[in-house]
Amino acid sequence: MLEVKNLNVFYGNVQVLWDVCLRVEEGEIVALVGANGAGKTTLLNAITGLVKPASGSVTFMGQDITGLPPNAVVELGISYFPEGGRLFPDMSILENLEMGAFIKSSWKKRKERLEKVYQIFPLLKERRKQMAKTLSGGERQMLAMGRVLMSDPKLGLFDELSYGMAPKLVKESFKMLQKLRDNGLTILLNEQNVKQSLEIADRAYVLENGRIVSGGSCEELLHSDHVRKAYLGL
Amino acid sequence: MISFINILVNGLLMGGIYAITAVGLSMQYGVARILNIAHGEFIMVAAFLTWMLHTTLGINPILCLAIVGPILFVLGYLVRHYLFKTLKEKTPSPAAFEGNSMLMAFGLLFVIQSLATYIWGKNIVGYDFMRYSVYLGEIRFAANRLVIMITAVIICFLFYLFLTKTRTGKAIRASSQDPDAAALMGVDINRMLTLCFALGALMAGFAGVLLSMEYKLDTFMGMGHTIIAIIVMVLGGLGSIPGSLVGGFILGIFYGIVSGIEPGLTEAAYYLLFMLLLLFKPSGLFGR
Ligand SMILES: Nc1ncnc2c1ncn2[C@@H]1O[C@H](COP(=O)(O)OP(=O)(O)O)[C@@H](O)[C@H]1O
Ligand SMILES: [Mg+2]
Repeated sequence: MLEVKNLNVFYGNVQVLWDVCLRVEEGEIVALVGANGAGKTTLLNAITGLVKPASGSVTFMGQDITGLPPNAVVELGISYFPEGGRLFPDMSILENLEMGAFIKSSWKKRKERLEKVYQIFPLLKERRKQMAKTLSGGERQMLAMGRVLMSDPKLGLFDELSYGMAPKLVKESFKMLQKLRDNGLTILLNEQNVKQSLEIADRAYVLENGRIVSGGSCEELLHSDHVRKAYLGL
Repeated sequence: MISFINILVNGLLMGGIYAITAVGLSMQYGVARILNIAHGEFIMVAAFLTWMLHTTLGINPILCLAIVGPILFVLGYLVRHYLFKTLKEKTPSPAAFEGNSMLMAFGLLFVIQSLATYIWGKNIVGYDFMRYSVYLGEIRFAANRLVIMITAVIICFLFYLFLTKTRTGKAIRASSQDPDAAALMGVDINRMLTLCFALGALMAGFAGVLLSMEYKLDTFMGMGHTIIAIIVMVLGGLGSIPGSLVGGFILGIFYGIVSGIEPGLTEAAYYLLFMLLLLFKPSGLFGR
């Protein structure tokens, strides 16, 4: 469904991604793990058009989307949960969700989408008039997740979904991801929380200093010596 | 009692125009990141166009809102599309763009001012519009001032509805709060920036038309309006659109009070307020 080939990305003169290749098949949960600063966010930003790659290609459902601006990428069915959620602080929960359905095809169906999202997160319905900036960390995460679903995407990119969450909430939100996948969403997940993400993902890639150093089924990775030493502290 | 009502009416009269002016500037600064020092020149051009349309073709100034407003909208569109968009493409860093765009606006100020002086001359001009009194109960109002006040409030209200109720309006607010996140929602940021700049010019257009109904015009009138718009913007919170709406009316009431006590001191009071704000509440009323 998503194929990234030989992607190279620079910030100014500094290269942060080197020949990155990665595939995500329909219906999968794929985890991208790696230390802070490895380049995970940059990779998702390059896929969604927030940064322009210097070379390489990104293909989504057979269509070359390399270098397309973010607004064109959403239209094709890729929805992005950016690091920290990036809510609109001075807009209400309802308005944040509506913005999630901004693209023309979703805007017409936003009432139905809202009902779907409210079903998944009933709290959002209760608080729909509340400003996003007054929400707690967990509630923000929930709202950002709901906003991702408003455009009825085929592929969801999640950057540090669990960041700053209490352990109990982390478990719940990972369960939520599995539920979303069972309902037809394909997922690419960036996580520093290596163990838990390997537990829910089908496959994973390990990114170190801007290069993919290993990839495979989570089963394999959980047993690889390198991953166990570097990321699981075993 | 009557003098209190006078202060209120004077305040709302100026406040409405201030609010429109400042909202225009906020649209350009808060979203497009252009501190448009030439904002007042757009107001001046609109005021002169209204004067021309009224004195040569006899068009009713209220009708001019529907003619001059769109002209200024197109002018704003062209300025952003050909000047600032090109500048932005050549200045990738946002901080550098903010500085350079202000310099560009400074250049624009003098180009527009000189052209206007070349076309309309250095004389003070004006026209009489509804210069009679109407009575509401015991209280006497200048009819044109009443019209200006009501029109300004209606424009602010409609603009508020546009921002809060429509898809485009919501996208504008989202873009001003987090442009990258808005782009991820599917908002075409480049188009949005041009639209916002053009809407800012539209607001300048409305302000110019309204001003010409009461005040005399000269081609150097722009700067004062730019400065007041900046003060209101700081008062409301830099770039906050609702802040500018409310801030405009607050500064208007402030004007009403000060000019009720000592008209000669209004300017001094404005700048004093401005400096106090910077010292004690730099984030403004609605600042983040
Ligand atoms: N906007 C930026 N400008 C310059 N360097 C950046 C920028 N964003 C990230 N970097 C650098 O790129 C590298 C990868 O960062 P990032 O993609 O955020 O990693 P991760 O998400 O894996 O923590 C880091 O060294 C970081 O300092
Ligand atoms: Mg990151």
